[in-house]
Amino acid sequence: MDILGNLAHGFSVALSFNNLLFALVGALIGTAIGVLPGIGPVATISLLLPITFGQPATTAIIMLAGIYYGAQYGGSTTAILLNLPGEISSVVTTLEGYKMARNGRAGAALATSALSSFFAGTVATIVVAGSGPLLTSVALSFGPADYFSLMLLGLIISAVLAQGSVIKSIGMVVFGVALGLVGTDVQTGQQRFTFGIPELSDGISFVALAMGMFGIAEIILNLEKPEARSVLKTEVGSLWLTREEFRRATPSTLRGTLVGTVLGILPGGGAALSSFGSYMMERKVSKNRHLFGSGAIEGVAGPEAANNAAAQTSFIPLLTLGIPANAVMALMVGALIIQGIQPGPRMVEAQPDLFWGLIASMWIGNVMLLIINLPMIGMWVKLLQVPYKFLYPAILVFCCIGAYSVNNNVFDVYSTVIFAVFGYMCNKLKLEPAPMLIGFVLGPMMEEHLRRAMLLSRGDVMVFIERPISASMLAIGAIALAAMLLPNLRKGKEAALSG
Amino acid sequence: MLPRRAWLAGGAVFAALPAIACAQGKSWPAQPIRLIVPFAPGGTTDLAARLVSQGLGDRLGQPVVVENRPGAGATLGAAQVAQAAPDGLTLIVSNIASHGIAPSLYRDLRYDPLRDFTHIALLIETPSVFVANQRFPPGDLGEVVRLSQEQPRGLDIASSGSGSSNHLLIVQFGQMTGARVNHVPYRGAGPAMTDGIADVVPMMSDSLPSAAGHLQAGAVRGMAVATAARHPAFSAVPTFRDQGVDLVSSSWFGISGPAGLPPAVAERLNREISTVLAEPGTQRRFAELGGLVRPLSPATYAEFIAGEVARWAPIVQASGARAD
Repeated sequence: MDILGNLAHGFSVALSFNNLLFALVGALIGTAIGVLPGIGPVATISLLLPITFGQPATTAIIMLAGIYYGAQYGGSTTAILLNLPGEISSVVTTLEGYKMARNGRAGAALATSALSSFFAGTVATIVVAGSGPLLTSVALSFGPADYFSLMLLGLIISAVLAQGSVIKSIGMVVFGVALGLVGTDVQTGQQRFTFGIPELSDGISFVALAMGMFGIAEIILNLEKPEARSVLKTEVGSLWLTREEFRRATPSTLRGTLVGTVLGILPGGGAALSSFGSYMMERKVSKNRHLFGSGAIEGVAGPEAANNAAAQTSFIPLLTLGIPANAVMALMVGALIIQGIQPGPRMVEAQPDLFWGLIASMWIGNVMLLIINLPMIGMWVKLLQVPYKFLYPAILVFCCIGAYSVNNNVFDVYSTVIFAVFGYMCNKLKLEPAPMLIGFVLGPMMEEHLRRAMLLSRGDVMVFIERPISASMLAIGAIALAAMLLPNLRKGKEAALSG
Repeated sequence: MLPRRAWLAGGAVFAALPAIACAQGKSWPAQPIRLIVPFAPGGTTDLAARLVSQGLGDRLGQPVVVENRPGAGATLGAAQVAQAAPDGLTLIVSNIASHGIAPSLYRDLRYDPLRDFTHIALLIETPSVFVANQRFPPGDLGEVVRLSQEQPRGLDIASSGSGSSNHLLIVQFGQMTGARVNHVPYRGAGPAMTDGIADVVPMMSDSLPSAAGHLQAGAVRGMAVATAARHPAFSAVPTFRDQGVDLVSSSWFGISGPAGLPPAVAERLNREISTVLAEPGTQRRFAELGGLVRPLSPATYAEFIAGEVARWAPIVQASGARAD
């Protein structure tokens, strides 16, 4: 069967009343939990898992997939409106999106997020349908040395995320890496920097770190300003994009889609890199790069497209290898196994209904999300007009629930409080939290791949130069570093970063 | 309309009813039961717990709510249940990590796997298996051992993590055969399998449920399965014993409660769990998970766990893995 025939078959499966209904239910639940700060898809899907036992496998997986990308959409909403990122991909959205909201362009930022995500989702779905199995070989050609070099490149370039001093931002990256190393060492099983606290043995909670450093720190800052306490001063502004904004967002969306589609294929870290890879690219190549840091629409369109594209293509390793790329996918594998289906390379032939039905439903899910989200923008924006004395306590309550629900552990709530205070201090010292979060996520992965590569090469460092993928990544990283640091190339920091 | 006082009195009697019944030991469970799964959702343990919790809840007349409490190699959840009240309302999915290996792996474990628990019933055992990349030359374990001895730093074998039962099986294999092994730990079985398929690491120690799909698809080759006789679903994969290595090993998990659970409650739970396990629906789903159902009485399950703790102690010692 050709791809068109397969897709037609997929749509015939996905468009059945039952499957359509569950796709809608999934998208609705996903949006709802995405909007509640900190309450992630993992906790929700695990609660809903028993419901799927009684459903056909295809219906079950369509609903779970709907929750997954619904949560991605919803997560951007809180990132833009409240500076509250729920996962690494929306950390980047806060950088320009929250600034846009403060400039009275919250509606435009939300619309950009929805439209560029939809576009990217459509393209990525076509890529998954057309070349999923082929792309698997790309994922498999990445060895530990190549992953290490990719992550190192990511870390070097993350200095670009800084909106202030480069030195301070490098310091924050390094501090993030150090925080990321807390927990059990993968190679030896030793506990590191846990100070005898068992709750730290699996590391610091990302949700606690992100919510504390961004959202709650922001609340503390706003409480300092008595004039801001009642209502957001700035006008809410037009809900829709102006022609100018639309024109600026389009090329960024296209570039973000490309970045996300490619990086999403890599199991382990690819999806995390996608949104901030796109942000970094926009900051380098966009015509309006001088506007970055003050609410540039390019910085919302690109990363939002990238993270949604990556969310779709990260299904490729799951569907073609049977290997989950993240915790949500691991739950989907569980749901399939419960149904007696072993995910793996044979799934395309053995379960064509499931495979093509899921792909078709990815696109249908994206359409549904657009339909759910666009009309709701007006409602979300009204949220900004809620007096802070009502809004802030509500946010704090949801943040506590969210932090608790990740591991059902009060320790994570305390961590959130500590990072909120720390985030407030960082803000006073003009230290950027975003590079720290990138370091926190990439650092431990980089260490793991470095040590695995060295273990396999029996301690020979040449492995990083001998492998072509790794060597190319290191070369790009060296050039980026040189461009930033060499004095004769450095015509002031701004020029170096934007050049 | 009833006078207000009558309403209040009625309410008080009504509220006191469960307490009275509880005191008589008749109507346990009077409230929903929490079943702590000490792992993140989605794994074999979590799925099996959710399957059993539904049937068990129906039979007990109270919902059995699964609560994931992952962390520190399943020891966080176990420590929590060890400190819970022995009222039969807080139970745990006891397993090879928290109750078999952790006592030897963690120096300052906050619970004793035997004294701090009332063990109730075993749920499933899942066999261990060695798989290899399709291009890996050795055809049997004898050739694997020879190849490993020819390599100066030993043969690379991957596992789902340092101190995991998969890792310890590699250590035990080395002890029994003299194979020289360079253990390559991963963060879970998924990434290890990816590198096994990509030939980054030629061999991997895994549990049968997690390797099953890849074996069926021919993405990897089964070198040896650690069952006593060949597994019916994978009859082409020889056992360790077939190849002259007397190694039989499974992962396992069951249900336990805090120490001091009333014997009547433990017996009742064991009986109901056995009934749920015997249902054809459960049997089929558990078989799909790759597990073998093995009903044990509370006393036999406790003896089984004592045997496992004793079995793993010297292997953990030899592995050098340590979590302080």
